[in-house]
Amino acid sequence: MQACRQSVVKRIRWLVCQSLVLSFLVVLPHTVYAASYTLYIRSGTHTINGNGGAVLKVWGYTDNSTAAPMVPGPQLQALEGETVTVTVYNQHTIPHNFVVRGITTDTAAIAANSSKTYTFTTPKAGVYLFSDTLNNNINREMGLYGALVVRAAGGVKKAWTGGPSFDLERVWVVSDMDKKNWNDVAGAGGTVSTGTYKPNYFMMNGLGGFDAMHDPNSVLQDTTGKVGLLRIVNAGQFDQSLHFHANHFQIVDKDGTRLSSPEPGDTINVKAGTTAMVLFPLRKGIYPMHIHSAQMETANGVYLNGVATLLVGN
Amino acid sequence: MINRNSKILNSLGVALAGLVLVLSPLLPASAARLGTTDALNAAGGVTIQVQALDKLMSDNQTVRFWVWCAGGMGGGGGGMGGCRIAGPILELGVGQRANVSLNVMMAPQESPPYQGHTIHWHGLDVSQTEDGVPETGAAVLGDNYSFSVDSRYVGSHMYHCHVHTVKHLEMGMYAPFIVKAVDGAGNFTNVINSGGPSYDYEWNLMYSSVDPAYHTAVGDSTTFADYNPKYFLINGNEGRSQTAPAETVTAAPGKKVAIRLMGVQSVNTSFEIKNAGGSSQSFTVHNKDGFKLPATQTLTKLDLSPGQTADVMVTLPGTAGSWYPQVTFKNLRNGGSYSNGVVYTRLNF
Ligand SMILES: [Cu+2]
Ligand SMILES: [Cu+2]
Repeated sequence: MQACRQSVVKRIRWLVCQSLVLSFLVVLPHTVYAASYTLYIRSGTHTINGNGGAVLKVWGYTDNSTAAPMVPGPQLQALEGETVTVTVYNQHTIPHNFVVRGITTDTAAIAANSSKTYTFTTPKAGVYLFSDTLNNNINREMGLYGALVVRAAGGVKKAWTGGPSFDLERVWVVSDMDKKNWNDVAGAGGTVSTGTYKPNYFMMNGLGGFDAMHDPNSVLQDTTGKVGLLRIVNAGQFDQSLHFHANHFQIVDKDGTRLSSPEPGDTINVKAGTTAMVLFPLRKGIYPMHIHSAQMETANGVYLNGVATLLVGN
Repeated sequence: MINRNSKILNSLGVALAGLVLVLSPLLPASAARLGTTDALNAAGGVTIQVQALDKLMSDNQTVRFWVWCAGGMGGGGGGMGGCRIAGPILELGVGQRANVSLNVMMAPQESPPYQGHTIHWHGLDVSQTEDGVPETGAAVLGDNYSFSVDSRYVGSHMYHCHVHTVKHLEMGMYAPFIVKAVDGAGNFTNVINSGGPSYDYEWNLMYSSVDPAYHTAVGDSTTFADYNPKYFLINGNEGRSQTAPAETVTAAPGKKVAIRLMGVQSVNTSFEIKNAGGSSQSFTVHNKDGFKLPATQTLTKLDLSPGQTADVMVTLPGTAGSWYPQVTFKNLRNGGSYSNGVVYTRLNF
């Protein structure tokens, strides 16, 4: 009943009691609004901070030819019906590709040290997974994925042109990695035996939960009563069952299929490689959103450093 | 607070199934509950405790669970009782105020930072102070919870511990929480959702999965990085064949049964109802996560992922027989079924 009482006793992992200090100015550091993008495929490392965290060998898309790979890759944005050009330079030593699920169909490899330009027109507003579809899921697991956000005409705050309205939005790219059996092996040039997959890292926008619960691009925070549109992309290999405290949401889009009558829920199963969009009305207070599957709440077994973030009504 | 008539009916048991027809004119306005009968009215002042329970599994291994026990004004006989996996069932009428105490004085528990327990009211959308999440301020060494819900919530929800959830949920601290519509006098009515159809019987089926390694590991163990479920339960029981079902219940032919499906397992599932000949029976889905669907769905298979609930209804055939509602537990990577991953129940009529 009494908020804050326990936090003096328990390990404090979330900023609670004192008001959550989040910047209202949400910075989208790797977002570029343009009809044309340039991506670089690079190898490097990705760090999950906090207890249970680790430095993982990854391959990823990035927007800088000399920088570390980004996990997830840079967020691509476009308007409904817009023509988008993406040039992808493969700076890695093995073949890769770039496929926007549900939009592009060219799965041919971009050879090492070469590039390819993809041009496509966004079919309808929503959220899309882009990834490297080659190498028996290994390339995607290694970090080669990201989200394309397609907004309604004019960039208005509607899920799609003429669709339901929202006040604020977040893109949640959730994923998983098996450090020992996949990342360590593929990252060292070895052969992954894909029959075994035991992911021990589960990420929200590339972050463990301890970071994601403070990440302004992940935390859904605004005035109580405001409606958030969550664009969810499961780039991982495991289905993710996202449970929202505080309120029921309305599902408006299931993997690209718009629901004419939104479906209510407090838990949504976003299957591996698919997407969903839900509308969530903020309720006063601080509440978690987390995966409801045992190990997926952890970073290598450490609780709440897995897929988790916060829903905050001011 | 317990519906005494339905309790007596259930206590007659399966052996007297034939009598149900005879007794049905005596059924009270409230529908008969199939299966476990330890439902308590959460508005009646309920105290929940936690106890260790050692359960002998089908392979002769013993697994230690931590389960809810209930007492208080609504509880059987005043003392603590009903200590079992997936129990006790709590019910609450729309507009009524739940008043539940959690007493952890005697409870088995972990060491700090994961000491104590809480209750999270999964699906009930309570305020932060009642949410049972230690990291947002919930007390872990005992608490009182008070909340009410509106008519949108008529349907199936759950309550479970939210301390070190990766372990504590797995340990067995979960149970159904059913929101009921009420009549003008405040009595529960038997409708599947607000304004929805009525049923003659209701039956709670709560799914869970068990990785025995999670039951002995504590703290920030790497054991919790990898989930290898070995047992699959409905209402706390294995039910590996139609002849050894997790639960057998008996209703009258031709009647309408609300089946409340609640998933706290950590893997994917699908629910089906087979008849004696093995063909799938269709059922109607009315609610998802305790909220009314914009349109009902008639299905022969329904997937529930971890944390989801659904309220479905069936109308039983007019002549006597048996159906076998079953749940297949499937892995999160490719949907393949686990070995021993089908749990059977039996519905006689
Ligand atoms: Cu607990
Ligand atoms: Cu829950």
